[in-house]
Amino acid sequence: MNYVIALVLGAFFGLSLNKAGLTRYSKIVNVFRFTDLAVLKFMMTAMLVSMAGLYTLRGLGWIKFPNVPATYIMGNLIGGLIFGIGMALVGY
Amino acid sequence: MKVFIQQFNKELWSPYIAGVVLGLVGVLAVWLSSSLLGASGAFENVVGMIGKALAPQAFNIMYFNFIMPPGITWGVVLIIGTIIGGGLGALSSKSWKLRLNTDDPQWIAIFGPQIWKRWLIAFFGAIILEYGAGIAGGCTSGLAISGGMLLAPAAFLFIAAMFASGIITAMLVYRRRY
Repeated sequence: MNYVIALVLGAFFGLSLNKAGLTRYSKIVNVFRFTDLAVLKFMMTAMLVSMAGLYTLRGLGWIKFPNVPATYIMGNLIGGLIFGIGMALVGY
Repeated sequence: MKVFIQQFNKELWSPYIAGVVLGLVGVLAVWLSSSLLGASGAFENVVGMIGKALAPQAFNIMYFNFIMPPGITWGVVLIIGTIIGGGLGALSSKSWKLRLNTDDPQWIAIFGPQIWKRWLIAFFGAIILEYGAGIAGGCTSGLAISGGMLLAPAAFLFIAAMFASGIITAMLVYRRRY
């Protein structure tokens, strides 16, 4: 059952990526050139909606948060720096 | 209804609408199966599984034993769904096509039309990308978006670092045309 949920949610995940145009090289690279901010608009809207939704649901006591991604400052920063190089080169 | 279908079939939606869809998916993922969306982790799960079968000694390390347990996890199924959903999206807008990624005019202007170049850069770029995601603990979706929606400090550190090096890399690649 859990896998069916994953498959359906994944399908909507893929659909939203495709419709936002994030499957294209130019969209991803142009956010780093500040000529097309679609990636940021997409990311920040998604974060805003799920932040509001999750914190409301937790406030109502309907859900418990899963493990929050661990914070280890150097690792997050160095990983992010390496990740950014790949992202700007390939455009994924 | 007709207008809705017409809007749905457009090749590109407003990024705000697509973002709302992803945001709802993120809420449902936590609510229904208490998992976080993520892409890069799934590849590590699969690699761990293959590695454990082929070279159990080499893969008997902390990372694959505890941090990224191998196997067909929730995330792997999610990625399969992502491929299906992306395909459906492309079919709905009739932009479904086998691409060797040489028809992006911007790529051609910078790197030239050779297919091998695209594949070579994609291959090594993806290695860099996945390696960085492994160190940081997630990728754009798994750490930045999913972590950000739980207000995890890691997510915001990661976004800052990602943009810093992304901008510098884009500057180096584009030089005068930046």
